[in-house]
Amino acid sequence: MALLEVIDLTKDFGGVVANDHISFEIARGEIIGMIGPNGAGKTTLFNCIVGYHKPDGGTIRFKGKDITGLKPFQTNWEGIGRTFQIMSMSGGLTALENIMIGSFCRISDPETARQEASEIVNLLELESDAEANLTELPIATQKRVGLGMALATKPELLMLDELAAGLNPREMDEMVELLRKIHKAKDLTLFLTEHAMDVVMPISQRIVVLDGGQKIAEGRPRDIADNERVIKAYLGEKYAKSRKNRGSL
Amino acid sequence: MIQFLIFCLYGLGWNLIGGYGGQVALGQAKNVGMSAYTVALLMVWWDVPFWVSTPLGVIVATIESFILGYFLFRLRGHYFAIATIAVSLVWQQLFINWNLIGGARGVELPLKETPNFLYMQFDSPIYYHYFAFALVLAAILYMNWFRKSKLGYQLRMISSSEDMAESLGINIHWVKVKAYCITGVFAGMGGAFYTVYYNYIDPFSVMHLELSVMIALMTMIGGAGSMWGPIIGAMILIPLDRYLGAWLGGIGIVGVDFMIYSMMVMVISAYEPKGIWGIIERYRGKR
Repeated sequence: MALLEVIDLTKDFGGVVANDHISFEIARGEIIGMIGPNGAGKTTLFNCIVGYHKPDGGTIRFKGKDITGLKPFQTNWEGIGRTFQIMSMSGGLTALENIMIGSFCRISDPETARQEASEIVNLLELESDAEANLTELPIATQKRVGLGMALATKPELLMLDELAAGLNPREMDEMVELLRKIHKAKDLTLFLTEHAMDVVMPISQRIVVLDGGQKIAEGRPRDIADNERVIKAYLGEKYAKSRKNRGSL
Repeated sequence: MIQFLIFCLYGLGWNLIGGYGGQVALGQAKNVGMSAYTVALLMVWWDVPFWVSTPLGVIVATIESFILGYFLFRLRGHYFAIATIAVSLVWQQLFINWNLIGGARGVELPLKETPNFLYMQFDSPIYYHYFAFALVLAAILYMNWFRKSKLGYQLRMISSSEDMAESLGINIHWVKVKAYCITGVFAGMGGAFYTVYYNYIDPFSVMHLELSVMIALMTMIGGAGSMWGPIIGAMILIPLDRYLGAWLGGIGIVGVDFMIYSMMVMVISAYEPKGIWGIIERYRGKR
């Protein structure tokens, strides 16, 4: 059974159809990427799954259970975690304390929460910044803290919204390594939307492509990069050419 | 001094929802008034001693917080603030015009012939000071525990981003309602104590919107969302209110004092949004 099933999902913002009958499945343990040009409906799809938007049609099933229309905190309890494109974390708190807030999702005792949070700090290699005030940390570190907060809620499916946005190439590579590491360590299923091809192409096992609210392609990264429609809609001739020149991904 | 301690109590309570939670609730006076009126009326009508009526008063204030919070927290941000003001005005008018409970004249508590511990009537004001001090101390200890508790962290997350808080499994509506109830408990305690100390209450002293605004201003000046902010705020505003208010009132200018406090809030929040405590922390951090 698929971990997440999206069936015929439709979201209509007063005439603008942001998601038009989208269907796909995610199996347990997979890493799925979602790409598409600006305004393709990626974030809307995310928000519908997590529960910030109520879909106008279609069904979302998680572990076989219908979660359509549940609120974000309820889908989180079911086991869906997410990060945000723009992180707004509590500035007055340390990195560790922010991660603790995530732990409190399943735990009430502050001491246990602190312990769990420090395990995540170790996993994400944040030890040296754990006690620093968040606002003093660089953006890449803040993103890792945000990832830690979502991880601390113990999700089975982790949805990452533009995690690489604002990072430099070296930091992106580190982020990819980190995602691989947590995917293995926590036995997670990852679902990421990303603009940065350098992140999404190497890490994803399968890619879903949206354009104009519709799913135009789905498949392995290699096939997606060769797909005519995808190239036209999103990647541009340039990327396809440079890929051929480099010979591999 | 007593007034300072009472306002510390109000401020510490308000800091919970207004400071840590970032919800501008301008209705603290309702909770104060609810409790104060419960204590006063129970004593006038049925001669109920302080130690019985106070828990009842606090319960009434908490229930009121719960019901109001449950509905009003469907609104967010400024809309919530406006709604709390509206409800405060309704209560204020109701209590001013409701003759059964004293109306605008207020309620006077009957004095016992001898000092009576059960009714908190002492011959020396020093006992009141002890009691108020104990209350504030308990409140400080509670807040110290609270800011490191699950609810405390969750509230702070809500104040920085509600969307993100929700994605971390926080039921923001419920957390806000819970925090608002705790705020109600603090206000209820303060209101009950106020009643037995002054032996007289009227809608203008315990039910008025001005009181709510004063509590909020005080906390913001001192530093909302910090442990000592409300206390610093009370330390500055209460003496200022006492002398400035009396002096300005004496020469016939009413209301200017509030203008001055508002100016202070504007100046301080432009300079340091975390209030005076923020300024202190900044200097401590530099050294």
